[in-house]
Order: sequence, then C-alpha cells, then structure tokens
Amino acid sequence: MTALLPVAGGRATAGAFGRKLRRYPGLGLAAVLSSAAASGAAVAVPILLGRLVDLVAAQGATRSLLAMAGWILAAGLAAAVLVGVSRALVAEWGARACADLREEVLDHALRMDAARLEAAGAGDVASRVTDDVERVTDATRLAAEVFAALVTVAITFAGFATLDWRIALAFLVVFPLYAISLRRFIPQAEARYAAERRAVAARTQSLLSTFTGARTVHAYGMEERQSARVDAASRGAVDARLHAVRGFLWFANVMNYAEALGLSAVLLTGFLLVRADATTVGEVTAAALLFHRLFGPLGLLLLTFNDVQSAGAALARLVGVAELHIPAPSGRAVARRPTDVVATAVRHHYPGGPAVLHDVSIEIPPGQSLAVVGASGAGKTTLAAILGGVFPATGGEVRLGGRPIGDLAPDELRRLVGVVTQEVHVFAGTLADDLRLAAPDATDDDLLAAVKLAGADAWVAALPAGLATRVGDGEHPLTASQAQQLALARIALVDPPVVILDEASAEAGSAGARQLEQASAALLQDRTAVVVAHRLTQAQSCDRIAVMADGRIVELGTPAELIAAGGAYATLWAAWHN
Amino acid sequence: MTPAMADHTRRLVGDMFRRQRRGVALTTGFWAMHQICEALVPVAIGVVIDQAVGTGSGAAMIWSLVGVFALFTALTMGWRSGFWFISKAGQEESHLLRMAVVRRLITGRGISTDRQTGELLSIATTDTQAASQFLELGSRAVAASVGLVVSVVVLLRIDWSLGIGLVVGVPVLVLALNALGPLVERRTSAQQQAIGESAATASDLLTGLRPLRGFGGVDEAARRYRTASRTSLRANVGAVRAGAAFIGVSTFTTSLLIAVVAALSGWFALRGRITIGELITIVGLAAFLTDPVLNLARCVLEYATVRASATRVAEIIWAPARTGSGTEPAVAGPLALDDVHTPGLDGVSFTVDPGELLGVATTEISAADAVTEVLAGTRVPQRGKVTLAGIPLADLDVASLHRALLVEPHTVDLFGETLREALRTSDDQDDAAMAAAMAAASTGDLVAGGRGLDHELLDHGVNLSGGQRQRLAVARALLADRPVMAFRDPTTAVDAVTEHAIAEGIREHRSGRATVLVTTSAPLLDRCDRVVFVHGGRVAATGGHRQLLELPAYADVVLR
Repeated sequence: MTALLPVAGGRATAGAFGRKLRRYPGLGLAAVLSSAAASGAAVAVPILLGRLVDLVAAQGATRSLLAMAGWILAAGLAAAVLVGVSRALVAEWGARACADLREEVLDHALRMDAARLEAAGAGDVASRVTDDVERVTDATRLAAEVFAALVTVAITFAGFATLDWRIALAFLVVFPLYAISLRRFIPQAEARYAAERRAVAARTQSLLSTFTGARTVHAYGMEERQSARVDAASRGAVDARLHAVRGFLWFANVMNYAEALGLSAVLLTGFLLVRADATTVGEVTAAALLFHRLFGPLGLLLLTFNDVQSAGAALARLVGVAELHIPAPSGRAVARRPTDVVATAVRHHYPGGPAVLHDVSIEIPPGQSLAVVGASGAGKTTLAAILGGVFPATGGEVRLGGRPIGDLAPDELRRLVGVVTQEVHVFAGTLADDLRLAAPDATDDDLLAAVKLAGADAWVAALPAGLATRVGDGEHPLTASQAQQLALARIALVDPPVVILDEASAEAGSAGARQLEQASAALLQDRTAVVVAHRLTQAQSCDRIAVMADGRIVELGTPAELIAAGGAYATLWAAWHN
Repeated sequence: MTPAMADHTRRLVGDMFRRQRRGVALTTGFWAMHQICEALVPVAIGVVIDQAVGTGSGAAMIWSLVGVFALFTALTMGWRSGFWFISKAGQEESHLLRMAVVRRLITGRGISTDRQTGELLSIATTDTQAASQFLELGSRAVAASVGLVVSVVVLLRIDWSLGIGLVVGVPVLVLALNALGPLVERRTSAQQQAIGESAATASDLLTGLRPLRGFGGVDEAARRYRTASRTSLRANVGAVRAGAAFIGVSTFTTSLLIAVVAALSGWFALRGRITIGELITIVGLAAFLTDPVLNLARCVLEYATVRASATRVAEIIWAPARTGSGTEPAVAGPLALDDVHTPGLDGVSFTVDPGELLGVATTEISAADAVTEVLAGTRVPQRGKVTLAGIPLADLDVASLHRALLVEPHTVDLFGETLREALRTSDDQDDAAMAAAMAAASTGDLVAGGRGLDHELLDHGVNLSGGQRQRLAVARALLADRPVMAFRDPTTAVDAVTEHAIAEGIREHRSGRATVLVTTSAPLLDRCDRVVFVHGGRVAATGGHRQLLELPAYADVVLR
C-alpha cells in the first residue's frame, strides 16, 4: 500500500476523544460519581471483613458479629446497585462519544480532498469506518470495567490511609516498578499496535476487493490464487497481533511480580510492627486483604491493557481522519443561470507520477457542449475531472461562470456542476432512496420525471415495487446500463447548469448505448457540457470536439470541420464508420 | 434460529475445539494452575499471619516471603502461558474461519445470499474473530471451575459445613445468573445487527464515493449514515444496560455469599471451632471466590455474543451454492444453446464450434445479458439447455468447467499489486505468453513505463483509466487461454482505432479455438466467422457481418 491516510499522534488522539467526552458533561459527571461510589462500597467490604476478624480476635459478642455481617451485606447491596448503574452510565457515555466520532469520521471521509482519498484507496477508509470503529466501540464496553477498576484501585489506596500509615507506606514500593515497566512498555506497545491496525487495514482491503470481484474469481476458477492473496494478508494481521501480544506478556509478568513485592512488603512491615507491638494482627490482616483486593482490578487492568492499547491505535486512526481539514460549505443560495467553463493553461500530474496534462486551454460558452475524444490514457478523464472540480489541477486555472473553481465552496460547486463518473454505483436501499441521495426533498413525481428523462421509466415501472423496489448490493440486480441511467437521473434531479459526462454510455455495452445516448442528449439540453466520448456518434452530436493525445488538445473544432480537415479525428471517424 | 442453523453452529464450534484442542488443553491447564495459585494467595496470607506475624518468628517470616514469591512465579507463569496459547489458538482459528468464509464465497459460482458486501466483510472480520473466542470462553470457564473446586476443597479441610454450603450455594448462584442470559442475549444480538447494518451503510457509501461526490450527494449520505449510527447507538445503549443489570445482580449474589460465609466462620471462630488464621483464610477465600463466580457469570454473558457471531459465520460456510455443480468432468467441444427460454430469450439456439469466432449481436440489452449469464452458468434457463461437448453445463463439475470455458465478466475487477499479478490467473504463464496477450489487447502503453510488468497497481487498479482497465481484462482473458471463451462488449471504453486493433488481436490470438463475442460493435463483428443476430428474443438471422448488414434491423443495431 502506498500513501495511507494520516494517523493522529497520542496527544491529539486523547485530546480529540476528550472533547467528544466533554460534550456530555451531565452523563460524564454521573458516570464518574456513581463509579466512585460503587468502588467505595466495594472497598468497604474487605475493610469490614478486617473489622470482623478483629472483633472475633477480641472475643466480641455474637450480636456484634451479626451486625458486622449485616453491614457487609449492606455494603455489598450498595455496591451491586452502584456497580450496575455506573457500568451503564460509563458505557453509555463512551458509546455516545464513539457514535459522534464515527459519524465525524465518515463525514470527513466523504468530504476529504479527492487526491488524498484516491492515493489511500477505498480499503483504508473502509477499514477505518468498520474495523477501527468497531474496535473502539467494543472498547467502550470495556471502558466501564477499566474505569471501575481504576477507581477501585484509587479508592483502595485511599483505604490504606485508614490503616496504619507505616504499612501503607510499605505498599508504595510497587510504584517505581510500575513506572519503570510502563515507560519501557508503552512506546514499544504503541508501535506494535499501530502495526497491527495497519495489517488489519491491509486485510480489509484484500477482503473487500475479493468480495467485490467475486464474479471474476468465479469466471477464472482462480479461488486458489485469490485465497492465497487473502491468506497472506490475513496471516499478516495474525502475526502482527501475536507480535503485540508477546510484548504485552512481558509487561504482564513484571506487573505480577510487582504485586508479589507489594504483598511481601506489607506482610514484612506488619510482621515487624506487630513484633514491636506497634500494631494489631487485625490491622495487618486488613492491610493484606485490602492489598489482595487490589489483585482483581489490577488483573483486569492488565488483561484489558491489550485491548485498550489496540483500541487506542484504532482511535488514533479515526482521529487522524476526523482531524483532516475539510472545506466549509458556503451556505449561500446561488440563482441558477447559464454558466461557462474556461480552462487556462491547465497542467496536471498525479503524486509522484509524470505529467498527464500539458497546458490545456479551452473555453466552453454557456449552453454549449464539448466532446473530448482520443486514445485511452490520453488524459481525457483527468481533464474532465479537473473541469468538474473533482480534484484541483496542479497548475493553471479553471473558471466556472467567471469564478475560479478553487474559490467555490463544495456546496456551490456541486450546484453549478454535476459529474457522471466512469464508475457507477447503485446505492443500497430503495430506488427512491438511491435517487434522493441527489435531491433529498424531491417528490415521487420529481423522481419519476428524472427517471423518464433518463429513459428508464419503462423498466422502473416494471420493477416489482416500482420506486420502492430495494436495489443495490444483494438486492434486486440492475444491469450496467440501468445503473448508468440512474446516474443520469440523479444529475437531472440536481439540475446543475454544467454537466460533465465521463464515458457515460461506455459501460453499458453498445446494445444499450443507443438508449443512453438519447438519455444523455436529453440531459445536455440547455446545459454547458463536457462529454468524454468513445462512441463517436455521441461526439458527433456535440457542438465541438476536442481530440486529445498525450495530455494535449491536438485538434479542436465542429465535427464537420474536423472531418473535413482530415486529421486525427478524421482517422478515428473512418475507423468508427468502417 | 432454525434447527439446521443451530446444528451448523454446533458443528462449527465442535470443529474449532477439535482443531485447536492442543492449545485449548494447554491454556486450560495453565489457567487452572493460575486459578489454584490465586486461590492459594489468601491461604498463604492466612498462613503467614498465623505462623509468622502472629508468632513473631523471623525464620517463619523469611520462609513466608520465599513462599509468596514462589507462589507468584507459578501464578504469573500459569496466566502468561495460558494467555499466549489461547491467543495463538484464537488467532489461528479466526484465520481459518475467515479463509473458510472467503473460499465459500469465491469457489465455484459462489453462494446464494442476500447479504451486502459490507455485511460479508463484517462476517469475515468481526464475526470470525468473535466466534474464535469460544475457545477462550471454554478455557476460562473450566479454569474458573477449577478455582472454585480448589477453594471448596480448602474450606472442606477447615470446616466441612462451610464447604458443603459452598458446594450447594455456588451452583445455585451461577444458575440463577444464567436465567438473566436470554435478556442479555436478545439485547446483544440486536446490537450486533445494528452495528453490522451501520458498517454496511458506511462501506456502501464509500464504495460509491466517486459517483456520490460527482452528483453532490455527500450531505445526504452523511445524514443517512448518521441515522444508521444513531440506531446502532440506541441498540448499543440497550445492550449496555442489560449487561450492567447482569453485573449488578451478580455483584449482589457474590456479596451475599461473602457475608454469609464471613458471619458463619466468625461464629465458628468465636466458639473456638476454627482458629483466627483459619478464619482469615476463609474470609480471604470468600473474597477470592468472587472472581471465579463473576468470571463464570461473564462467560455466560459473552457466550451470547460469541454464539451469535458463530451462527453468522456458519450461515455463510453452509450456505447453499448459487447454482449447483455437477460431477461430470468438462471437456472442450462445441458450446451450444439449445432452445433456451429465459427473460430476454424466447427459444434461442446456436452453436460455436471449435476454432470458430462467433459474434452474437442483440437488439435488446436484456438478450445480451441473458446470453452472457446462461453461458457463465449464473443463470439457469427456464426451458432448454446450454451444453459443452453435448453435456449440459449444469451437469459439469464447476472447477473443470472453468478450465474449459471462460466467460469474461463485463465489469472489470483487477487483483494484485502489479501488472504481472493482475494478468496472471495461473502459475504456468510466462513473460512471453504475457507479452503476446498484451500485444493482442493493445496494452503496449501500460508497459511503456520504466517498470514494465512490475508497474504498480493501486487498490483495484484505480490508477488506470477505464480503457486501460478494460484492455488489461481482455489481455488477462487471452492469457488464460481457455479452449472456449466468451467476451461481453470488451471494447466499450476504448477509442475506435484501438477497437480495430483489439478486434484483430483477439481474432489472431484465438485462432484455432472457440470464441464468442456478445457485442454490437461493428469492428468486432466484422472479424467474426459467423454472426448470430438475436432480435425480439429469437434468432432472426445467421451469417457474415457484411451479409447481415442487408437486414435493416441488424444494420440499425450495429451501425452507428
């Protein structure tokens, strides 16, 4: 994989997620308070147990013993209710922050600048909004436990304060050990988990291209070959995960020994103090039990550290996308009026690639159409994309209606110019849903009018449920030409004054091309248009034709002029007609 | 869930444990050891307080410290080894399940499923991962039970009545917690469903991102994802609340256990039935018991999630094939449609003989679609049959059929990271054969760059133009060199001059073998030995391209 999308640094990640969490101050406060209360109640249990031992050692009354057991039960009940409530609140807090984040990530992924998106590939983005979002959402469920464990640990420490201070002091020996091992572990873990997330992204990319291309794999019967590719990617993710786990186990080992050291220190200090008659056996018991009580939450912190690190790496990938700069919409309503397209000395090269356009200048007056023809790889699609504002040229200038295309906000740009790309996609949902992506407020009549303009009224009427038929992946299948007609209908709904059609009739195959040509001719009516055409009949019906070769416009004129001139277009025309 | 699905899920889980039995057994052993050590920690604390702190013996204290470190060494070793073996087994198993899903989807003609690509992706990643957690759950449950048993044995040795109380009490508690299972399961599976759907929405929108941006649908798309994400959030919160209720109840039951054990043992100690040290051990054990009991409870909770995932994986692995495979081995021979009736075709028959280049031109797209699909075997005719060397396609073994007959899909999907990888569909293709196929498909411009066949392809070949992708697909098909081949509109994205060159290239490269071109492109049809003209769902005429041009209907379709 080449240029990937950005991954946020540790601080930026924490900051961004913190901001998301702070959006719910009430929920957050309730979550923190209830967790603290729950842990307090839970910590009370071992302290009460220590008291019970003291009571028995002092040969207390049976009634006091029963009362103590009653208190233990009461503390348990309080802990149960509070634990339940705090778990729910903490997880909900995390889930809400997470939902906000994933929506922002998708929003940014949809709007990010095209050059970056193309270079990263759809797989990387897809893996972030699926795998990484899921990893983080899953971790929010753990968050409740981790949070409760942290609070329990903190409160247990505070509980030590109620005991003999010298024993409490002895216990502090664990801290330097924790600090040293964390300092060694965290940087190494970050690198390993980041590598794991990258491997998972590569796996997603491989799976996605295999599933979308399943038909081709079937046709060639090359399941072995394709499985081997997926296998390699999936193996890579497995190895990366196990590599991360190995590092984690080293850390877990140190942590366990820290526990042993702490317990020994507590017992030894207690032993010395009791021998010096400075404290009671009950006090030492309580301290030892309190310390033992820490093992549960500490163990849980350890166990989840793996998932938390992995979720942190996933979060960094999400924040990386969420923090991308995206252009702000203008919110201005522009009156629809005829618009011209003027390109001056447009040059372009893809990142790290050779120049694909050399000083292309062209002027298309309002309402006129221009066909772009030429051999494949001549730069037709690139020129069309730049004129349509799909991505900016690396040099030169394009103006729409007199305004530089780079100055137009995304919403203004899309109201001015509609682009039908080479790729077609039928969006999952009903046919009406699919069309309303282009015009959310369109009525059913508007949709039917657009469908009719695209020449699709007959087959749409014949669908099992008309506009309400579910189409897209796994649903009612549409042919390539039907999908193309939908693409034209969407543009008709947007009704922009400028239209860019990139091989809009190509994918349908020639049997369908005729219908599509009629549909696109209807769409071009009264619009400024650029048509990338392989079918010369379509080029012939345009006002002017530009012939491209090696990134330059080599011929420009009306169809009749070009045929008469006997140049490159005349050769193409002869080949077409032959 | 249908009984068959439940059966498949059971089989899937059974197979998982059989394959990973070594790792699971080792993990269970190590984790049981860890649990025993954990159970012994309070015992050790009790002993140290009784024998060293209480008596003030320095020697006893030194031995105590040695004992504590020995115990922790065993404890940490047990846990770490178990974690390592289960991570390995779990990762290995999720990989195997993932590959089983992938193979099921790409072998033969795939499966019949109404799941979207995004959902399949989530099954192949999230669900395979979750299903493999069955292994960990199994080990954890057994180890927790061992911990419980050890605690009970220790208690029995101190005082039998407390031990018996636990033997009866703990299973009752766990069973009571089990009763909450269905509630949690319902909420959890609703959550997983919602997560899967919102992920599918996201990947659908991203797949269509280029067209989406072209018509300015980004705002509406973002709004739709937000709706899906909010639905998923609601389900998520519901599941979280059910889980929290479960944890609350289990916390209360364990507290009850501790309080009762503490009261009883305190009473026994008061009456002198047990020593203070034994009391401490019992109280410590009672506190320790919380862990295995909660652990078992959590296993119950996770079981629901994990089983739902395993069911989805099993659904794909045991899904019915899209169209069945026969058993007869396919051999090269004449490919024939015999009175085929299907939407678009109303009784069409024609044959392509070995060595022949046959054109099929249709007035309606639906007829071209129908011919392509019945040849590919993805559509079964309502009446009539399609045969290769006299045997119906449906009776042929799919794997051998795909070696004898290739129908190149019109939608171009490229795989691999270089040109060479994208072209190669089997191992026996050398550079010379590649060069010949690429020349026939006029793809010289692609290898003109410095890196030749090692030219890098981005994700799906997005760095190629539509025409380049289409020509690469033609080259790939020619290179695959099957005895019988069919192309559907292979030159729609290339210019007229190149189209002539490709038509010539296909003719030369395929000489001596059977080829069908389903197209209305005049340059392609002109080079065919024979053209079948399908008009109104029936064969209207058969003959040479130039001869058929006499028919106004034909001329109308192919001349442009």
